[in-house]
Amino acid sequence: MSAVEVRELVKQYPSFELLRVSFDVRENRITGFIGRNGSGKTTTIKAMLNLIHPDSGTVSFFGKPMVMNEAEIKQRTGYSTGTVNWYPRKKIKDIVQAVKSFYDTWDEEAYRKYLELFCLDETKMPIELSEGMKVKFNLLLALSHKCDVLILDEPTSGLDPFSRNELLDIFTELKNDGVAVFFSTHIISDIEKCADDIVYISKGKIVAATSKEDFILKYSEPGESLEETMLRMEGGVSHA
Amino acid sequence: MRNIMLKEMKLSASPLAYLFILFGLMFFLPGYPVLCGAFFSTLGLYQSFLYAREANDIVFSVLLPIAKKDVVKGKYGFVCIIELCTLLLMTICVIVRMTALKEAPMYRSNALMNANLFALGAALFIFGLFNLIFVGGFFKTAYKLGRPFVFYIVTAFLCIGIFEVLHHIPGLEQLNSFGTENIMMQLLLLLAGIVAWLLMTVLSYRKACEQFEKIDL
Repeated sequence: MSAVEVRELVKQYPSFELLRVSFDVRENRITGFIGRNGSGKTTTIKAMLNLIHPDSGTVSFFGKPMVMNEAEIKQRTGYSTGTVNWYPRKKIKDIVQAVKSFYDTWDEEAYRKYLELFCLDETKMPIELSEGMKVKFNLLLALSHKCDVLILDEPTSGLDPFSRNELLDIFTELKNDGVAVFFSTHIISDIEKCADDIVYISKGKIVAATSKEDFILKYSEPGESLEETMLRMEGGVSHA
Repeated sequence: MRNIMLKEMKLSASPLAYLFILFGLMFFLPGYPVLCGAFFSTLGLYQSFLYAREANDIVFSVLLPIAKKDVVKGKYGFVCIIELCTLLLMTICVIVRMTALKEAPMYRSNALMNANLFALGAALFIFGLFNLIFVGGFFKTAYKLGRPFVFYIVTAFLCIGIFEVLHHIPGLEQLNSFGTENIMMQLLLLLAGIVAWLLMTVLSYRKACEQFEKIDL
């Protein structure tokens, strides 16, 4: 079953365009969304979250169109983006206090658990956090309400290898709890470690959207690692 | 709606927005254009919009499980609360000036507008202009603040200038009534101010909802 269906998304900018982007985020699976910088990952995620308006195409969550059911869908969706600074001069606990009143499913136990796991001090302000800790704070907000789909834009960038490893383990835990995890990254080893499905985008176009096993079967040459396959493909795509 | 308002007041608002409510007390100042109090209160609100923009407040709000029009509603709700708090202070000043201080020479000899019910209506008109020009203008892009604020400043000071000297025009002297003189006229002018504020705010809010729905964030 698909938790999210993205169909034929087109969005044109003067110097970039998304070209009929289609893929599924399946339930109880971790989907890695990979592509180099500027390939269209964030634009796609923004379109999925209704932050930008595609010229054509549709996005549905749980079988319902996003544009018609925005509030309900966001109640069941967690979202986090890299190192964006929300309210840099407010204490974390004040931000959390305001945010949690919006969610019927706010999980105080999960909040405390991740606060401890990420070693975040809730009396600090985002401006006092390092880039990596900002990522963790954004993740904390996304993980602290029980969601069915988790959409994360470059969640591992800026994290040290230990925290990255911890985070990828958390993805697996969440998947086992029934959450569909969709995360974008340009770090191929993240995909290698925990993704079940791969959506590979290059120059605004989906090159592959399939399970990791099928991806390797279809695209990898004998003895090639996933990283080597993707580097070769990206090189091919770049020079096409 | 309660959670949106709490978020606006606790996270998005600049402390200056609250502090500048005190400019409503300028209605006590003799020999000063009292309507500037309304402008200074909106200056605090402008600071709040700047502060919120630097905190990525709009995108943060849109990602919350609410409809986009509720984000707009929250902003307008907060602006209206600050305006009405300023108006409350102004009303207290007007009541004191209309009763205990109605014969005070410092107010009687004032060349500028008297702080009466007409002045309250005029302050509401200035607030309406802020909502229409600045807040409505902001929601065309959800990040450009300078241009709508400059338009608002020019329009607001033009209107303040007109309101402050209107009673010097022959036949309009009654606009400067003291105490309960011409009370029906004063009340009607206040009512006109309320209607103008409501109309400008509602029109601006509706337009802002439409525009905000269309923009890419």
